[in-house]
This record gives sequence, C-alpha cells and structure tokens, in this order.
Amino acid sequence: MRKVKVLAGTMILLLGFTGIAFVSEKNKEEVAIPEEPQGVVYYESEDFGGPEIVYAKPVRGVLFSHKYHVGELGLPCESCHNSIFEMQALKSQENPDFNMEALYKGKYCGACHNGESAFASNTKCATCHIGVKGLREYMKKLAEKEKK
Amino acid sequence: MFRGIKEWLLSLKNEGVEQVPDETKREFLKIGLIITGVFAGGSLFSVVSKVAEGLASPEELHKGYPYKPHYSMVFKLDRCIDCELCMEACRKTNHVPDYGWRTMILRRHDETALDQKTLFMPILCNHCNNPPCVRACPTKATYKDKKTGIVRMAYYKCLGCKTCMVACPYNARYFNEEKHAVDKCDFCWESRLSKGMTITACAEACPAGVRIFGDLSDPGSEVYQLVHQLAKPVWVLKPETGARPNVFYTIS
Repeated sequence: MRKVKVLAGTMILLLGFTGIAFVSEKNKEEVAIPEEPQGVVYYESEDFGGPEIVYAKPVRGVLFSHKYHVGELGLPCESCHNSIFEMQALKSQENPDFNMEALYKGKYCGACHNGESAFASNTKCATCHIGVKGLREYMKKLAEKEKK
Repeated sequence: MFRGIKEWLLSLKNEGVEQVPDETKREFLKIGLIITGVFAGGSLFSVVSKVAEGLASPEELHKGYPYKPHYSMVFKLDRCIDCELCMEACRKTNHVPDYGWRTMILRRHDETALDQKTLFMPILCNHCNNPPCVRACPTKATYKDKKTGIVRMAYYKCLGCKTCMVACPYNARYFNEEKHAVDKCDFCWESRLSKGMTITACAEACPAGVRIFGDLSDPGSEVYQLVHQLAKPVWVLKPETGARPNVFYTIS
C-alpha cells in the first residue's frame, strides 16, 4: 500500500512539473515577435493625422513619423498627400524607384529633404534609418498593443 | 633563536598607509596587476605595459605593413543604417549559426543628443598585428596567416577551451557547436578570397558603402587612401590593449 502511495505521489509531482513547463513554454510563444515583417504601421500617433510608418523595403527599418512631421512641425496633410505620397501606408515601398537615388532627385522624402526646406537626404542617415533594431522595437510595441 | 624573531615581529606596530607616498602605492598595485595579467592570458598585462604604445598616432600604429597583401577594412561610421544586409550575407556565405556572429552592428542611442540621436557601429574581428587571441591559444589552433595577416582558425586543432574568447578585446569570437570549435571572421578567406574573389561578402552586400575592404600595403587602394590622411579623423577600437588592429573607423 505504501509503495502505491509513493508511486502516486511521484506521478503527481512529475505531472505537475510537466504542466508548469508546458505553461511556461506556451507563455514564451505568446510574446514571440513575428519574423521578416514587410513594414510596420503603428497607430499610436493617429491623433497627429497618421501613423508611425517603418518601411522594410528596399532596406529594413526606415521610419516616417506623423507625430513629428504633423504634430510637432505642424505640416498640413496636403503638403504630402496625395501628390508625393499616397494615403495608404507602406504603398510607396512597392515602387521600384523608392530608393535614395530618387530622393536625391527630389522624389518622395527628397521633395523637402533637399538641404533647403529640411536636412538633405544624403546627410544624418541614422535619423530616419532606425535600422533593424529600431524596426524590432516597433514590432514589439505593436505586439504589446495587440495583446491589450 | 626563533623565539627572538617571533617576539620582534609581535613587537612591530602597524604604521598605517597614510605615510606611504602615492607612487609607492601605485607601484605595488602594478606588481599585482602584472602577476594577475600573466595568468589571464596576457590581456590584462597589456593594461599596464602598453599604454604609451596604444596612445601613439595612427602612423605610429602602422609604421610598416609586414604582409602582402595586408588585408584591412575601413568603416565609414556615419553611413551605417543598421539594415543588417552585411550580417545576412555573412551568415549565408560562412554558414554562421543563429546563436553566433562573425560581424554585427552595435547601436548608440542618446535621447538628449542635439541632432541625430542614433549612431550605428559595425564590428568584426580586427585581425590585429599583435593578436591577444593567438598568444592565448594553447594549441596554436588560431594563428596569424604569414602571407595575408588574417587571423585564422585551424578548426581541427581547437580544443574548445575558449581562452581566446576571453583574451579577445573585441569579443569577436563565438563557439560553434557544429564544428565543435571556436569560429570567427576570416575576412571570407575560406569562402571567397582563396577562390579568387577580391572583396568580403559583407563589404559586397553593404548598400551604403560603409565597409571598404582592401590591401593596406598598396598605396593605390582605397583603404590606404582613407587611413593615410589627416583631413578626417581615423581611429581604431581599444588602442590601449596594444593589439594594433587592422580595422579602422572614419567618417564619410
């Protein structure tokens, strides 16, 4: 009888441990960040007219902030939409000419970032290029927000 | 007789350290550092013995180029945008697993900075002229290539003791489980340069022209022209270790 009790006790303990392990594994999966994003649209700054957009093409991690351009600088929507950029976020990165060469010629961001209206697009690289590390941070923010 | 000595020792009074001059204290500490340094694979030893050498000007760091070709890499630091295409290319070319890296990008971020708030800094093995890892390796599994100056690995000799990982001032080594040996950047020697290619995978993949790779002993090469000028600052990482790196940093 005693043997049976001991065996039962051991089984319960083992099952308990597996249960804990299973639950903790499951929790791990929930906070995992999806890989290879095609860009991030972060809507926290919608009050300023539009989202924070992180482009992923042709290079990953390029931020455009409505919060800064509309909220802090006070630029009206018409200064970019729909002449330079379409309303749909991340639409421009589908264009084959969405690159730095085009910006130097005054297209896209280069319309203002020409060294006169705003800093030239061939300077201060890491101001807009927040990189893969910056992109991951936005992915994390997005994941946390969706969880709520 | 011994009793006399014992009594004499017991009669001595503690004089305290207040009266000892600073120089003497410093000398005493140095002895300690040197002794510890010898046992720590020599990397600490250089803390006290190589300061003067490390602070020398770039010309002093590289009086001559003992290798031909003398492979070197120069980073135009302000152009790095952390797109990590270099890391991807490196992983693909050299079969680097997820848990390790041969090259990576560090980030400095300062919200209080006046203008640009972020700076990215790519790093890789510095292929030092005086490599602490080579000195530390007990089996000579890591060695300085006599022709090219590349710090390479003979994987079959590596015990996996990881002493070189501790000795490297740049943290440029990782333990590869599959090879059961320490792995590191070899300027793509095995995968590309030995097969006739002239440039590393990371330098080829970089879209911003951050990584300039070439022969530092050739006055016509871009790396030579970037290093041998005074108009823009050129620096190396941790010169105080006296490792004399062959990876330089500058701005565009």
